[in-house]
Amino acid sequence: MKCSVCGREAVIKLRHAGLRLCPEHLVARVEKEVAGAIRRFRMLAPQERVLVAVSGGKDSLALWHILVELGYRAEGLYIDLGIAGYSARSREASQVFARERGFTLHVVSLEKELGATLDGLTRLARGKTCSLCGTVKRYLMNKFAWEGGYQALATGHNLDDEAATLLGNVLRWDEGYLARQYPALPGEGKLVKKIKPLVFLSEREMAAYCLIKGIRYLYEDCPHAQGARSIALKGVLNELEDRYPATKISFLRGFLKVRDRFRPPEPVVLQDCPGCGMPTAADGPCRFCRLKGRVSHGAAA
Amino acid sequence: MVILKRKEQVYTVEAGKTLEQALRELGILPETVLAIKDGRIVPLSHRPADGEELELVDVISGG
Repeated sequence: MKCSVCGREAVIKLRHAGLRLCPEHLVARVEKEVAGAIRRFRMLAPQERVLVAVSGGKDSLALWHILVELGYRAEGLYIDLGIAGYSARSREASQVFARERGFTLHVVSLEKELGATLDGLTRLARGKTCSLCGTVKRYLMNKFAWEGGYQALATGHNLDDEAATLLGNVLRWDEGYLARQYPALPGEGKLVKKIKPLVFLSEREMAAYCLIKGIRYLYEDCPHAQGARSIALKGVLNELEDRYPATKISFLRGFLKVRDRFRPPEPVVLQDCPGCGMPTAADGPCRFCRLKGRVSHGAAA
Repeated sequence: MVILKRKEQVYTVEAGKTLEQALRELGILPETVLAIKDGRIVPLSHRPADGEELELVDVISGG
């Protein structure tokens, strides 16, 4: 199998892109796709500071590496959720990665900010672990980015993540979520701009990129992800992709062309939370402050 | 026989097939894993020799 670009020995075939690539040209393609997404969706200007949310996994570490390679001022944020065993290993992977490259990594502890780890919160609060995790992570990432004066918050969501999220939103015809699913969401007030530069790159390409570039990431998945709906959605899409290559990329690119047709059911009005001052759509304290209240109440009980 | 290691699982398949054929025989979608040997990616078109050992890395992350 020969590389479609240079004719040397290829190591990977990307059926969805109609390419066979050698290690050098796989790396070039990944970095070019990231630069292209940043340009197309006006994600970052050269002088802007970007905070990369890192988990120790392949996508976020590769994203951080690529942003620095492309010349952006990127720092990392790791949120220690306090998931027994797993958090220590994912923090270690993130710290080793940053240390080896001389990158700046900030670590925020959920236990310190909220008064409970994710495991503790799940016991105290009613709600699914993944939903609670999403709530606290989104809050802490935005708060840290806002307070640190970063112009953008970057996450490692890739093509497979975005296609699975899209499928989940379509299956529920959730217009509000469909209207908000986009590779770059502009900032508003204290809400920092959110960007997903890996949006058109598959998980397979990202894993290959890490192996070629010597990025040592945590292979392990979050223990709470077992049985998660997102995994089932990815499974369905992978079956379809196997039969009909380019299903995922066509699904996502097609959606981006018609996304403007979706509108949230009601315009969201943001106001400052009376507790922490961060923006919230709720009348009264934001969800994080309400969870914090429940934790302190539960701890006192 | 060819040995394929995926986390704690060890699979054995007959030599002579391509890696893609071997994975399909095991019920693994070929594009959901990367095969590694000596730290390098092995293409799906590779035909592992008898006694060859490859590591399979899952590329689909959860959550």
